[in-house]
Amino acid sequence: MAAPSHRPAPSTGGAPQAGPATPLVALKDVDFAYDERPVLRRISFSLEPGDFVGIVGPNGSGKSTLVDLIDGIHQPGAGEVLVKGVPTRRYRRKDMAREVALVPQHFDLDFDLAVREVVEMGAYCLGKDPAALSDPELTLARLGVADLASRRFSELSGGEKQLVVLAQALMQQAPLLLLDEPASALDVSHQLRLFDLLKELNADGLTVLCILHDLNLALHYFDKLLVLSDGEVAAFGPPDDVLRPEVVEAVYGVRAYLHRHAGRTYLTFSPRLRGERRGRVHLICGGGTGAGMMRELADAGYEVTAGVLNALDTDEETGRELGLEMIVEAPFSPVGDEAHVENLALLRSADLVVVSAVPVSHGNALNIAAAREALAAGIPVWADEGVRAGDFAGATDGLAAAGVQFFAGEEALLTAVRARSLPGSGRTTAVGAAAARVAAPPEDDSQPEGAAT
Amino acid sequence: MTKLARTGAWPGILLAAGILLVCLVLALALGPAPLSVGRIWHLLLAGPVQGDLDNAIFWQIRMPRVLVASLVGAALAVAGVILQDLFLNPLTDPYVTGVSSGAALGATIGIVLHLSNLPWITVLAIVGGLGTLVIVWMAARRRGRIDIFVLLLAGVTISYLASALVTVLMIKANEDMTAIIYWLMGSFSGRGWPDVRVALVTIPFMVAPLFFTREMDILLQGEKRALELGVEVERTKRLLLVTAGVLTALAVSVSGIIAFVGLVVPHIVRLLIGPGHRGLLPVSLLAGASLMVLADLLSRTVISPNEIPVGVVTTFIGAPLFVYLLRRGRRV
Repeated sequence: MAAPSHRPAPSTGGAPQAGPATPLVALKDVDFAYDERPVLRRISFSLEPGDFVGIVGPNGSGKSTLVDLIDGIHQPGAGEVLVKGVPTRRYRRKDMAREVALVPQHFDLDFDLAVREVVEMGAYCLGKDPAALSDPELTLARLGVADLASRRFSELSGGEKQLVVLAQALMQQAPLLLLDEPASALDVSHQLRLFDLLKELNADGLTVLCILHDLNLALHYFDKLLVLSDGEVAAFGPPDDVLRPEVVEAVYGVRAYLHRHAGRTYLTFSPRLRGERRGRVHLICGGGTGAGMMRELADAGYEVTAGVLNALDTDEETGRELGLEMIVEAPFSPVGDEAHVENLALLRSADLVVVSAVPVSHGNALNIAAAREALAAGIPVWADEGVRAGDFAGATDGLAAAGVQFFAGEEALLTAVRARSLPGSGRTTAVGAAAARVAAPPEDDSQPEGAAT
Repeated sequence: MTKLARTGAWPGILLAAGILLVCLVLALALGPAPLSVGRIWHLLLAGPVQGDLDNAIFWQIRMPRVLVASLVGAALAVAGVILQDLFLNPLTDPYVTGVSSGAALGATIGIVLHLSNLPWITVLAIVGGLGTLVIVWMAARRRGRIDIFVLLLAGVTISYLASALVTVLMIKANEDMTAIIYWLMGSFSGRGWPDVRVALVTIPFMVAPLFFTREMDILLQGEKRALELGVEVERTKRLLLVTAGVLTALAVSVSGIIAFVGLVVPHIVRLLIGPGHRGLLPVSLLAGASLMVLADLLSRTVISPNEIPVGVVTTFIGAPLFVYLLRRGRRV
C-alpha cells in the first residue's frame, strides 16, 4: 500500500492548503462548553513550528480541554481551531494523529501487554506503509529505556509507564506533541529527565505544547508560557514576562515572590488571606534576624515596613523580594541622621513596632532610639528578649521600664501572628495585650483565655 | 521484531485448530452407535447415501448437530471477546446486551403460538434479539455517540424486562412450559441441516472482527486514547457492537441460551496467549467451537439415552478450568 509517506519535519505535511506562512496550530476566538457549563472563552493564540510552549493555570481553568480541542477530540462551540490551516473537524482521526500526538494525563492498561506492543500501537495512524513505520525499539532507545521493550507494561513503575506512553506518542511521528501534565506522577529526577528529553526533541524539530503545574519548571524550561485563568488566556509570552508575581497572584490567588538564586529566578508562594487587611507593623531588624518575621507577617496580611536597614543586608534583600517599604542606608554604614528621620516618619504610621533580636552597636543604636520615640507616640513596641543579650551599645537599657513588651524569641511572635492577635486590623489594644501574654507564656500562664486559642 | 510479533499468534491458532479437529472427530465418532475413525473417513468421502444406517446417523444426525454446536460455540466466544473488550469489563458476556433475552422472548412467543420450529421460532428469536439490540442502542446514543456504560445498563435492564415477559407467558401457557424451559436452557438435540444453514450465517460476522484486531487492541486503552491514536472510535464501536449482537442473536436462535461459553472462553484464551486480538480472536473462535462440541458430546453420552442440558455441561467444564487457570496466575 503506497500511502503518502509522512516525515516528522514540521515544514512538510500531509494536510491540504498548508502554505508556508500557516502556523502549525491557530485558535481564533474559541469558545467551548461542556453541556451548559462554559469552559473556555475567547481563546486566541497560535503555535509556530519549533515552538516550545508550556500551559499553566489553576485546576479547572480549562487546560486539558484546550489540549483536547487542538487534537480535535472536542469541537469548539464558537470560533475555529486550525491545524496546519485546516479546521480540526475536517480531519479524519487517522490524519489528525499524523499531525498531533497527545500524551494523556491518566494512562493505564489493565491488560497484560508487552511494552513493545503498547508502543507499537502509536504507529497505527501510519497505516501499513513499511517506509513510514516507526520502530518501537528505536523509539524507546531514544528515550533511554530500550531495556523496557520486552517487559510487561503492567509491571512498570509510574515513571516508566509515563515514558512508554511518550514513546507511543512519538511513534505517531507527528510534528506537534501535546502533553497533559506528564510530570504529575513523577519524582523530581524523572521530572527533570522528562523535561530535558522534551527539550532535546524540540531541538530536533518537534513542536511541544505541555501542560504543567510546577511554575518553577515552567519558568526554567519553556520558551513561551500560556497562562489560562478561568477559561481565558491571562498571558502568553516569554516566561519572565508572563510569570510576574502580580500575574501569579491574580490567577492563582496566592502571594508570589520572585527570588534570584545562583543565576536563576525562582517563585515561592504563600497563601493569601482573603479580603482581610490587617494592621501595619514596622520592623526594626538586620542581619537576617527579621527575614522570617517579615515573610510571616506579610503572609498573614499585615502591611510590613522596616528600617533602617543597610543595603545588601539579608533582611534588606528579603524585604526587597517581598516588595516592602523600607528605609535603607548605604552598605556597611552606620544609620545616618537623614535615614533616622525618614525611619521615624515611617514608623509613626505603624500600629505596632517589632524589634528583632538584632545585634545592637553604635552603628544602629539610632533604630532603638526610634523604638522609644514610637512608645512616646503611643505606638506599642514589642521586642525580642534576645535583643538585650546582643546589645553592645547599652541602647536597650530601660526599654522595659519605658513600656516595651518582650517576647521570647521569633517563634513566640509568630505564634501570636498565627493566632491573629497582633494590634491593628481594628482589634483593641486589650486583645493585643492578651496576645503579648501568649507570646510570653512564663509571665502570665494563669490566664486561661490567653491559652484558649 | 514486528514480523516476530505478527507471526506470534500462529502457533496458538494452529494448536487450537488441532484441538478442534480432535473434538469434531470424537463428537462424530461417539454416541449410542459408535463409529471408528476409519469409518468416519469413509462416510465423509462417500457423502450422504440413502438406505445405509451408519450413513444416516453420520450425515443426518451427528454431522448437523456437531456443526451447529461448533458454530454456536465459536459465535458466542467471538461475541464474548468483542463485548468484554468493548465494555472493558471482565464480567461481560454476550447475554448482557439483552440480545439473548430478547431472542428468548421471541422464541417463547413462537412456542406459545405453536408455530413450527423452523423457520418461525428461529425467525422470531432473531427478530427478538436484534429488536432488543436496536432498543438498547437507541437508549445509549447521545449526540451521535454510543455511551458504552449506558448501553450496558440498558442491556441488563431490558434483559430483566424480557425475562419477566417470558415468565408471564410461561404461566399463561402451562402446557408449553416444558418446551419453553428446555429452550431456555439451551440444547442441540435434534438439530438438522436447516439449523446448520442458519448457523452458517454467523461465519461472515466471525470473520469481520479479524480485520479490526489493531483497533480492538488500541481500544483496550479506552475510547479517548484510541481517538488520540487515530482510531475512528464510534465507527469501530458501532461495527463491533452490531457484529456481536448479530452473532448472539443467531447463536441463541438455533440453540437457546447456553451459559458460560461466551464468558469463560475469552478469559481462558486471554490467560493462555495474552490480550492481543490477533491471537485472541481466532483462538477464542476455535476454542469456543471445541468447548461447545465437547460439551454437547458429554451432554448426550454421559447419561444416555437421557440428555443433560448442554448449558449445564459447559458450566461444569468451564468453571473448574477457569478457576484452575486463575490460580496458576496471569502469566502462563
